[in-house]
Amino acid sequence: MVAENSTPHLHSAVEPRQTIRRRLDMFARAAMPSLFIILVAVLLSAPFGIPGQPELQFGIAMCTVWFWAFSRPKSMPAWAVFLCGLSVEIFSFGPPGAVLLSLLVIYGVAHHWRYGLSRLGFVSCWLIFSFFAALASFFQWALVCVHAFALLSPAPGLFQAALTIGIYPSLTALFVWGRRTFANPDQA
Amino acid sequence: MFSIHTRQVLARAALPILILLAVALVLLGLVRRPVVDGVRLRATDILAPAYQALVYPQARVQEWLVDLRGATDLAKENARLRDENRALRHWYDVAVALAAENARLKSSLHWIPESAPQYVTGRVTRDDGGPYSRAVLLDVGSGHQIHTGDVALDSAGLLGRVTEIGPHTVRVLLINDDASRIPVTLAASRGDAIMAGDDTDTPRLIYYPQDHHPIEGERVETRGQSAMPAGLPIGTVHYLAPNRPVVMPDADLRRLDIVRVFDYGDDGGQAPDAPGRVKVRRPAAEPTLPGGLPFPRLPGMPETLGKGGQ
Repeated sequence: MVAENSTPHLHSAVEPRQTIRRRLDMFARAAMPSLFIILVAVLLSAPFGIPGQPELQFGIAMCTVWFWAFSRPKSMPAWAVFLCGLSVEIFSFGPPGAVLLSLLVIYGVAHHWRYGLSRLGFVSCWLIFSFFAALASFFQWALVCVHAFALLSPAPGLFQAALTIGIYPSLTALFVWGRRTFANPDQA
Repeated sequence: MFSIHTRQVLARAALPILILLAVALVLLGLVRRPVVDGVRLRATDILAPAYQALVYPQARVQEWLVDLRGATDLAKENARLRDENRALRHWYDVAVALAAENARLKSSLHWIPESAPQYVTGRVTRDDGGPYSRAVLLDVGSGHQIHTGDVALDSAGLLGRVTEIGPHTVRVLLINDDASRIPVTLAASRGDAIMAGDDTDTPRLIYYPQDHHPIEGERVETRGQSAMPAGLPIGTVHYLAPNRPVVMPDADLRRLDIVRVFDYGDDGGQAPDAPGRVKVRRPAAEPTLPGGLPFPRLPGMPETLGKGGQ
């Protein structure tokens, strides 16, 4: 198994009692990645005036879904991806459905290849993610062009893809630490 | 509750079903975009107070920084303000004289006064452009009388037009958005042009007369069509390259805070029909069934086609 038994020392024969508090704690830890996406979607829709806010919204959602879909699928089920995608859709004003569809597709890819991906090194994972991030940005650009009925400049899409690919390593570092500690249901 | 087999089938079917739902949302966006944008506006309405609270610390820090910068070179700032005050006093005298002359000329011409436009002032709730568009959401409070197409200005000049309206929030498409096309007049050469946004900070000028090229540095104003009155200041002409005139907007499109939305009344500038022209008589509205085709009936098309093939 890949991620389900990531902390084997805690899988002893003697399990702690399933109290309500422990169950809530486990649920909160398992829901951490989804809550992270929703919180980021809301925060980055506020008028802070940071350059690249909408691109970051998309990039962080993509990185989070990709990482958790192959490293701990139990923390990122398909319906949670759908809810996260919907919340990003609501708090952004891009072409409807583009982010949601991109998130579901990247989830499908990561979930389907999860055994292979967790055997691969970080750089290979990053390269495969980069390909799909670029593909999702291209899809979004094509959809915007259809909405506008004109051929728009692809520069914003390229910037979005570059930002998404660029933030992946630092987010991975955060998630690897989170998978061991605050987002680990086994430590509840 | 379910058997293991059923649960496995459900787990496998979940992702394809959710992807189908996402595709349905994409199609809904293509066919009925206002429905989706309406839901987004309502979500912004609900979150408007939270946005204010979120940016409050940032606004305070920026104020302190401005104060700190002002305090460091007070003497230079004082001298600059004194000079500026002197220049402003001169312009104030000129403005008073011109206003008096204008009033006198208007009274001798029996000028019909223009009605004062209604306006609503709002604070920018959030910048909701996204990578491909330039737009802002304004919090204008409940009970506003804003219509689609109303004009938004900041203290310096034109910002854009209202495109969507929610209960407390309105969406303003900025003049540098790719979809924005505004008819303008060039103040010095009196030529007409269209100001087209291209998602950069400086909208382009297109369709100007080839024998009257825009002059570098001349003022650009609105031409006065549909709901937009003539003479609203927009900016100045600047050439980025030969034969590529752009408008440097007066309004600071990057940092918007307080915005006024003016209602100048719709189609005030509608021209009367030309004399002798046969007026086109519109056919009486046909009762259409809900769910019929979204385009009008084409001539030569059987009547039943547009009504679900009855």
